[in-house]
Amino acid sequence: MRILVILRRVLDPAGIVAHRRLRRLFINREEYIIQPADHGALEAALRIKDATAAEVVVASGQSEPDDDTLRRGIAMGADRAIYLSGDAFKSADDAVAARALQEVIERLGDVDLVLCGATTLDTGQAQLGLRLAEALGWPQIVGAWSIEADDGRVQGVRRDGVRYTLVETDLPAVVLMAAGALKPRYPNGIRLINIYRDEGDVADALEQWDAADLLTPDELSPLIASVGRDFPPERERGERVEGTNAEVAETVAQALRQRMRG
Amino acid sequence: MDASYLDLVMAQQEESFEEAEGGGGVWVVADLLEGQIAPVTLEAIGAARTLADSLGAYVYAVLLGNDVTTLAETLYQSGADGVRVADHARLAPFALAPHLAILLDLFEEEEPEVVLLGASDAGQELAPRLAQRMGGGLIEHATSVTLDESTRVVQATFPIYGGDYFEIAACPEVRPQVLTIEPGAFASPYLDEYRKGEPTILDVEPVEPVVRRLGPAEDYEPPPVPLSEAKLIVAGGRQAGDFVLVEKLAQALDAHLAGDRGAWDAGLIEAEQMVDVRGVTVAPDVYVAVGLRGDTFHNAAMEGATFIVAIHPDPHAPIFEIADQCVEAQPEEVLPVLLEALA
Repeated sequence: MRILVILRRVLDPAGIVAHRRLRRLFINREEYIIQPADHGALEAALRIKDATAAEVVVASGQSEPDDDTLRRGIAMGADRAIYLSGDAFKSADDAVAARALQEVIERLGDVDLVLCGATTLDTGQAQLGLRLAEALGWPQIVGAWSIEADDGRVQGVRRDGVRYTLVETDLPAVVLMAAGALKPRYPNGIRLINIYRDEGDVADALEQWDAADLLTPDELSPLIASVGRDFPPERERGERVEGTNAEVAETVAQALRQRMRG
Repeated sequence: MDASYLDLVMAQQEESFEEAEGGGGVWVVADLLEGQIAPVTLEAIGAARTLADSLGAYVYAVLLGNDVTTLAETLYQSGADGVRVADHARLAPFALAPHLAILLDLFEEEEPEVVLLGASDAGQELAPRLAQRMGGGLIEHATSVTLDESTRVVQATFPIYGGDYFEIAACPEVRPQVLTIEPGAFASPYLDEYRKGEPTILDVEPVEPVVRRLGPAEDYEPPPVPLSEAKLIVAGGRQAGDFVLVEKLAQALDAHLAGDRGAWDAGLIEAEQMVDVRGVTVAPDVYVAVGLRGDTFHNAAMEGATFIVAIHPDPHAPIFEIADQCVEAQPEEVLPVLLEALA
């Protein structure tokens, strides 16, 4: 079985400040982390690999150079990494990335399962994996908390409201893992050193594919254009709750109930 | 003015009506919640109405489900000009394949200009596949929409890092423009009882779902949510008085229990429960600070919270500078009453 995991990166939110009064974004520390939900998806793939000796391929799903993300994926245990690059790919949106990944899957051949995160930490967009599923004509399981795959089937646990439901579909399929479902393992130290030195058994694991070879210039033009940025209103000093203890408690309880419902 | 002139105007109007009927329009895919039209669908129709009025287009709603034809009335009342209904026993509960096939058939014929869906589980599954198949652009979790009337392009705002700031995006070239609408972000429209219409019933034969439900996952235990990702946090400090009351409040709200450096020093909480830049940084929806002064290191680690309630006896405590609701009182006097009010 061959599993493709889409790994994206995201600017660490601890290093940025959205200044509401100045209506500007300050990037104090430009440090990237693996999208948490994608990170969990790689863990899910590696658990399937541990159980069934599947091959795990990681591929980048976004435009900026992120071979660091892929190297960390290999250090965690992925067998192969495909780094989509090229100037033409820099402006790619999710629709373009989905087309490129479709092409990657067709060239790789024999891919049975595509895994990625069900959401992204920054934009919250979930369309990459599902656009890819539609392009390939494969079924999808969205927001899986755990999965098992073998014998041409994949089973996943999904949340329906407060309950968890077991669902099943035939391979090949696309599964989007819920954020926080699985705790990713630590990278293997020796693999981590070797992948950054291009040495040992991971020396050739990272492959660079030029997106311009995969797609026509027409297919590389993004559908969504960024128009601008907006900031929430400045935080005002809070409301002082006054009155008897009972009145205060009622006001606070009401506010809490309202917030919890939303 | 003679009658022939009126006839001419009416004939022209009918002509333009027929033209509009052939394609375009703002379409809303309805969502069901407990057998009723979901509130997010009504909000989407409200947003669609505003867009359609500026575009000079009609608002259509599509309703798929089992025994749902009578619900079309609500869609008309909330502002839809036309409603398409596919009513079939196999369309409930929601499954992707049958719903997607019906919507694709319909949209291929109608060629919508804008499609709105609620950002619910069903809407989030459908929208990317619809957009991909129809070659349209998709913006998810929109919290506001505006229209550039000269180009007929919809600009949508969506939250980044859960609302730290917002990105505005548009789909300038291709159609349809597909959007999912964040629940609660748009005003619910007024239901006009005098707006009525006869829904068009679609003749459908739903395909079998591709993903099979095998029943409840009984032996599945979800992983515990770490404090850094908690949605509700009750934190206590050294001024909390009786810490048992703080624990009870956390239980009553089904919240994570936490504290500041002082509470940790006093041995009231564990290290992984300490909200502090030297401990855990949090950004919950609701943060209740009980008897907690709020020093710089604590406040920096939790100011990402959406709604902060602070209870502290000292009116000059720094926590009140960032709290949304400030209660200047002894926690042990307020908490028992608050617990009663929440019960």
